[in-house]
Amino acid sequence: MVRVSPILREVLAHIFKKPATQKYPEVKPKVPSGFRGKQIFNISLCIGCGLCARDCPAKAIEMVNVEGKMRPLFHLDRCIFCYQCAESCPRGAIASSEIFELASASKSNLVVKPKEESADGGGQ
Amino acid sequence: MCQQSLQALTHVSHAQIDEGELRVSLDFTLIFRILIFPGFTFILLLTMFCDWVERKIEARMQNRIGPMYTGPAGVLQPLADFIKLLIKEDIVPFNVRNFVFKFAPIISLSFFIFSFVFLPIDGANIIFDSCFEGDLILVLTLVSIANFLLFLSGWSSTNPYSVIGATRVLTQLTAYDIPLFILALAPAFLAGSLSISTIVSRQHIPFALMIPWAFALFIVALQAELEKDPFDVPHAETEIVAGYETEYTGRRLAFLKLAKDVQIVLGAAIAVELFLGGPHGPVFYGSSAFWCTLWFTFKLLVVIAFTEYLTCIFARLRIDQVLSVNWRLLLPLSLLSLAAAAGVSLWLNPLWR
Amino acid sequence: MRDVSVVLKDLSNILGSKMIQTRILRPEKIYMRVQVGAHRDAIKFILKRDEDAGISAITGVDLGEKIELMYHIRTHGTIITIGTEVSKNNAKIESITDLIPGANFHEREVSDLLGVIFEGHPDPKRLILPEDWPRNIFPLRKDAPITNIPSKMGDSECSGDVKQVSGDERLINVVMGPQHPALIEPERFSLRVEGEIVRQVEPRIGYVHRGIEKATENRTYLQNIYLVERICGICNAAHTVCFCQAVEAIMGVNIPPRAKYLRTIILELNRIHSHMLLLGHAGLEIGYETLFHYIWRDREPIMGIMENLTGNRVITSFITIGGVRRDLREEYIPIIKTELDKLKDKMNFYRRLFENDSTIKVRTKGIGVLSKQDALKLCVVGPVARGSGVRIDVRKDEPYAAYNEIEFNVITYDDGDSWARFMVRLDEIVESINIIQYALNHLPSGPYRVRVPRTVPAGEAISRVEAPRGELFYYVKSNGSSYPERVKIRTPTFSNIPSFIHIAEGCNIADVPAIFASLDPCFSCTDR
Repeated sequence: MVRVSPILREVLAHIFKKPATQKYPEVKPKVPSGFRGKQIFNISLCIGCGLCARDCPAKAIEMVNVEGKMRPLFHLDRCIFCYQCAESCPRGAIASSEIFELASASKSNLVVKPKEESADGGGQ
Repeated sequence: MCQQSLQALTHVSHAQIDEGELRVSLDFTLIFRILIFPGFTFILLLTMFCDWVERKIEARMQNRIGPMYTGPAGVLQPLADFIKLLIKEDIVPFNVRNFVFKFAPIISLSFFIFSFVFLPIDGANIIFDSCFEGDLILVLTLVSIANFLLFLSGWSSTNPYSVIGATRVLTQLTAYDIPLFILALAPAFLAGSLSISTIVSRQHIPFALMIPWAFALFIVALQAELEKDPFDVPHAETEIVAGYETEYTGRRLAFLKLAKDVQIVLGAAIAVELFLGGPHGPVFYGSSAFWCTLWFTFKLLVVIAFTEYLTCIFARLRIDQVLSVNWRLLLPLSLLSLAAAAGVSLWLNPLWR
Repeated sequence: MRDVSVVLKDLSNILGSKMIQTRILRPEKIYMRVQVGAHRDAIKFILKRDEDAGISAITGVDLGEKIELMYHIRTHGTIITIGTEVSKNNAKIESITDLIPGANFHEREVSDLLGVIFEGHPDPKRLILPEDWPRNIFPLRKDAPITNIPSKMGDSECSGDVKQVSGDERLINVVMGPQHPALIEPERFSLRVEGEIVRQVEPRIGYVHRGIEKATENRTYLQNIYLVERICGICNAAHTVCFCQAVEAIMGVNIPPRAKYLRTIILELNRIHSHMLLLGHAGLEIGYETLFHYIWRDREPIMGIMENLTGNRVITSFITIGGVRRDLREEYIPIIKTELDKLKDKMNFYRRLFENDSTIKVRTKGIGVLSKQDALKLCVVGPVARGSGVRIDVRKDEPYAAYNEIEFNVITYDDGDSWARFMVRLDEIVESINIIQYALNHLPSGPYRVRVPRTVPAGEAISRVEAPRGELFYYVKSNGSSYPERVKIRTPTFSNIPSFIHIAEGCNIADVPAIFASLDPCFSCTDR
């Protein structure tokens, strides 16, 4: 005799269960701490050594001249979010945030500029 | 209940014909019944509603949400899909047989919709007095021809995937038409007539309760006619891309998909009429036509939900396994169940004749 | 190891003067250089001594004037390398496909990328590079001019090997082409069918070739970790561990015990999520969408654990040279254990489903049978081999990370059909859960990383890891500068694709996607 497959009861029970999917974008997922999202650059700690740009696997960091000192500029469209830059930085000037909605219609939005005042440069 | 409304409305249109004047009677009621309710527009809206119910039930069984953006709870999603396909570009490949490729979906759709004429939805047929002895055979034949046209639509597009899909459609439908016909005759035995309206009106107790074995086998044969899991093989996505639909785009694809959806509703409607008592049900207040339609829709949704459940719990069988299920299992069982139904009818007939 | 040294002594006796040199590749792997032509004798001898021996990879290194060819033979649980040299201008050598049929694809790849001609090869067609690549440019040679190549130049043959009707008039050519719903990544398989039965399969891979082996030669070792991680999204932890192990072997660095256990945990988490992905995908191939949705829903807690541990769900970027990059917080360990217990109950349900459901059994039992002899001849690895009764698993044969301290079973099934391969993966998920729970209970304290210098001394090393799909093989050669000299990557699916050709002949078209799913192909890995 054919043994009854356990899927029969399982499927019926699921009609009454809450769905496992979320109604994004009304409900947004919570990401844990330590998530590798958009970079936050603390310009007061930077010493301009350039180790971050040298170690970046995707060549996404460009050292630019900001008021006479060399500071990194992050190109988010090339970045692979590996955070080797944060590891290589001897002063810990690069940190991660929990921002992951980075899609943009223009490339000029996809940079993190080394600015004096705000922590997350010219992002969304 | 429904008989009185049937006679009242019949009386009106008969009176006009008896007048003797040979004018084309553009009877407003008739036009309304054909085009709006319970005719063309109602059938299309019902099809889209049943499509939405199907998708929601399948989604809930698979623990997800289903359509949710277009309209409240996604009710307008099938309409949005249809309109989206209508506005897309229509590509006709180079080497196809033009006439068959272009018109097979539309003719098939019109056959399916035409079959609804013979099914009483709000207590009466769409065109009055269009029922006759043997219209059950006519409806089933129309379904077969419309399915054959779907095969032709795949055969005429010269693509290996379409050809394989079309041959699978033909093989499966040829095989499963036979038990479907045989099982559809079982309620005819019980009711003593081959007319669907008569079978409906003679169901004081739904036949599904009197000959449950025939009902169960009919649902299985229906699952194969409608090409749903586990008999999904003609349009198996992961093997032959889209089967006979592969070369269709734009408007023609919209009509082909609509033809398939109407086929599902038609198959479920035939099951409801033959086995579940059609539009009969308790009338509480107000016009009986409204309540008959409501009961009909409710029973239709029950049948569709059950076929969707069967879809969710099975994998897809191969074509040779599908055929072996038919010839070795379904056909002998359907012959036996027909004989049993005939026996039951002989026993029951003295009781109510 | 004792068996191997005995084999080595006997081999050197047999070869006599033809053997030029032996040395030890790190870590403790034997390398034997022989004269050209003697490689066949050496391989014949090894095969005679061990019938289950198979080829693991064939590496070619450009040494300037000469090209060094290394045949890595997998025998007695370890690797013996037979090396020989051919001159660059006249790069010809005899093929070994008559001795080991599984060397077919490996030789074609070397001839594509380095220009070595293998005489006697049954099917010397292009494998990895596209059809219109110029015939005289071999990318892996150091002096190859690979910038500014005009496209479609020279004697490009069009893809004319795919004729509509083959020589036999009854056969129709159904192309499971680069775009197909059954394939997650593009490759082309031309199936010659008669009615519904497949008679012949012609594969064409190389659609996802990105030239990663050449790209590693232009990046530092630290940057290369992230490059090899992105060869395959699903088995990225295995690639990084394998590369870092090879570099650590060259440097002579020992990583701390806590790092070994953390590497084990992330490797097993990777294995669980990869197997669940495949089982869901297999459900989709046989038309069982409900199974697909359920398994992927139950896979979500594992992705959540990986996100908590490493910062990202799929590409973990957790491993570095000298250990791991982050630590596991103590307060998170009970949460991981609870999720794993829940997953174990769910796997019981799926096990009962696969054993009892009649539609699954009717689509997978007895379909796509690979016998044990064919599995050994074609040198398949991973769950494909273990589903045919071949008991190979790098975690047991040559333990790495913390596997020598953890007890676990190697799952084998003898049927050899698709159902057996799925059941191997199902049971391996439960074994992985047990391994992770043991590792969490016995996690040693201490540092999770040692600092390593940025330059790597000259040397070469071989490293093997059991990726979810089978044995992953890396050969890294360093010349003392900050860039590697040669990185050779042989992925498990590359060894498994020839078995698909063998299995699919004689099956229905409808079974081809199901067989394909049971082999678990990952074409990004295959093509690199």
